[in-house]
Amino acid sequence: MDTLGLLASILYQFGTNAAFLLLAAIGLVVILGMMNIINLAHGELMMMGAYIATIVTHRGIPFPLAVLLAFLLVAMFGAALERVIIRRFYGHELGALVVTWGISLIMGQGTLLFFGPFMPSIGIPGGSFSLGAYSFATYWIVLIGVSAILIAALWWIYQNTRFGLMARATMQKAAMAEALGVNTDRVYMLTFALGSGLAGACGALLAPTVSISPLMGQQFVAPAFITVVVGGAANVLLGAIGSSLLLSAVKTPVGLLFGAFIGTVALLLTALIIIRLMPNGVSFYLQRFTERRVGA
Amino acid sequence: MRLLHLVNGGEDLGRSRWFWIGFAAVILALVALPLYQTEFEASNASYYLLNIPLALGLSMLWGYCGILSFGQVAYFGIAGYAYGVIAGNLTETSWGPLVGSVGGLLLCAAVGAIFGYFVFFGRVQGWIVPILTLVFTLLLETFLGQTAGYQWRIGAVQLGGYNGMTGIPPFQIGNFIFQGYAFYFFALSLTVAVYFISRILMNAHFGKIMIAIREDVLRTETLGYDVRFYQLGVFVLAAMLAGLSGLLYVQWGNYITPSQVGLLPAALPVIWVAVGGRNRLLAVAIATYLLNWINYTLSEAGNQYAPVIMGALLLLVMLFFPRGIIVAIAELRWPWRRDVTPVSVQDRSA
Repeated sequence: MDTLGLLASILYQFGTNAAFLLLAAIGLVVILGMMNIINLAHGELMMMGAYIATIVTHRGIPFPLAVLLAFLLVAMFGAALERVIIRRFYGHELGALVVTWGISLIMGQGTLLFFGPFMPSIGIPGGSFSLGAYSFATYWIVLIGVSAILIAALWWIYQNTRFGLMARATMQKAAMAEALGVNTDRVYMLTFALGSGLAGACGALLAPTVSISPLMGQQFVAPAFITVVVGGAANVLLGAIGSSLLLSAVKTPVGLLFGAFIGTVALLLTALIIIRLMPNGVSFYLQRFTERRVGA
Repeated sequence: MRLLHLVNGGEDLGRSRWFWIGFAAVILALVALPLYQTEFEASNASYYLLNIPLALGLSMLWGYCGILSFGQVAYFGIAGYAYGVIAGNLTETSWGPLVGSVGGLLLCAAVGAIFGYFVFFGRVQGWIVPILTLVFTLLLETFLGQTAGYQWRIGAVQLGGYNGMTGIPPFQIGNFIFQGYAFYFFALSLTVAVYFISRILMNAHFGKIMIAIREDVLRTETLGYDVRFYQLGVFVLAAMLAGLSGLLYVQWGNYITPSQVGLLPAALPVIWVAVGGRNRLLAVAIATYLLNWINYTLSEAGNQYAPVIMGALLLLVMLFFPRGIIVAIAELRWPWRRDVTPVSVQDRSA
């Protein structure tokens, strides 16, 4: 019984780590993959989602509705951001990096001034159950499921909807897509809004599990970017899945044995080694592998 | 003669006789600062000056070579902590601070070389480099933050967790301790020296290769240059310059905390360099001095908006003066100006 409990516990740790990485990175991945823009304000968008969810939950609105609200509001904010600022930096990779960095600075420090350094967080919804000597939080099990559903939904949107088709066309060759009547400008705006909204929703989902503060975005920055770097840009969704599973496989045992900080250091080291061995990221190899299987 | 020619090359602002007269006047005014300012004000001025080497390093890395780094403060912190540990353990001898300084710079070079090896010899894409430098900085901050307690002790020095390391000895050669006005002159002369060396380097063959890499990596490679090697070189150089700033910082303030390597301090050098004009060293140096002065004056007045103002400044500069404010001012067509300094190569890096 206890071996089963231990096994379940390790699997649970692995799952929560992977889900955390995936949720922290997914909004970033959408924007990077479709627009080739690194959004350094990503952590602050997550912070914004967490704040929205926390504030409205304290007002008595049910948590799932709060997450939805965080998605919508942050998506609208993202759309406005794209119209006013980001639009001017297409094709200027480093310029976009620096300008989103400025946005993140204003958002983080502005929130600090406006809301103060702390906000009472919301408790983890759902209880916990135990298996043998090990206990498991129901909420994290739900989060693992939610992140799987999110990825599946994104996959479906990009493969089966009209927007997905236009977005993929824009990503492959923007000029050609435009010549065929795709409003690429609109695709970019919607993509940025979608990415921002996802960041907001994931911030809201993770809000009960972390402490809420204006600079909380920072704690998502390192894991999110490491996940994206390891995933690579060849196929971002595939890369995000592959790298969050791989990184979780590294972080879980190291974190269990040596503590959370060494676990995060191991993430960076893994990222450095992986980009040395596979400069195109995990997704390049995953894609080649799947293509070969399909071709055979 | 050849060196003079390199100093006056086209890769930085100002080549006319009147420019150099003005330059000499500013240096003279800085040298004469103790005549008209108190020791406290001179100490503040040293603080504005000591950030310049870090900014010049970032300028060479980003503006000239097209490699953006958000992690220069990591090397600032590494050098500061290394100096604190070494000099703090060698307090009985007079040459402790000197050993500490050399040790700090060497450690920066070593860490920069290892990090740069993985990044540049892995031929990482453009945007991954800034992200990895940023992640590196954040991890360093987290690491230093959890070093509280007695077990985090190197010799006689405690790393001190979030409270940081205190009581770091000032710089000293023989029995002469650099403090007050003496430290001001020390920082000033080092800063001016670093500026001239950087200017010569960027006008020399090395600088031309930097610009070639920024403009087109593949083309530079086909001309027979090992791009990876040069990228690593300028990365290590920038790391050491950031380390120099870190050394001067701990020698100036005698303390350092992990928040010096945090996200906010990491943003500031990028702002200085972008506001000045990233591919003009002098513009970067001027902007660094002025923005540090503004930042200090704002926060001294109890103004909590300083970081927001700095962020907004960065946003506005990126939107309206992508080549930098100081560069924009310098390239205005003044009515009395006959020749406009030619822009050698248009920068496409950002």
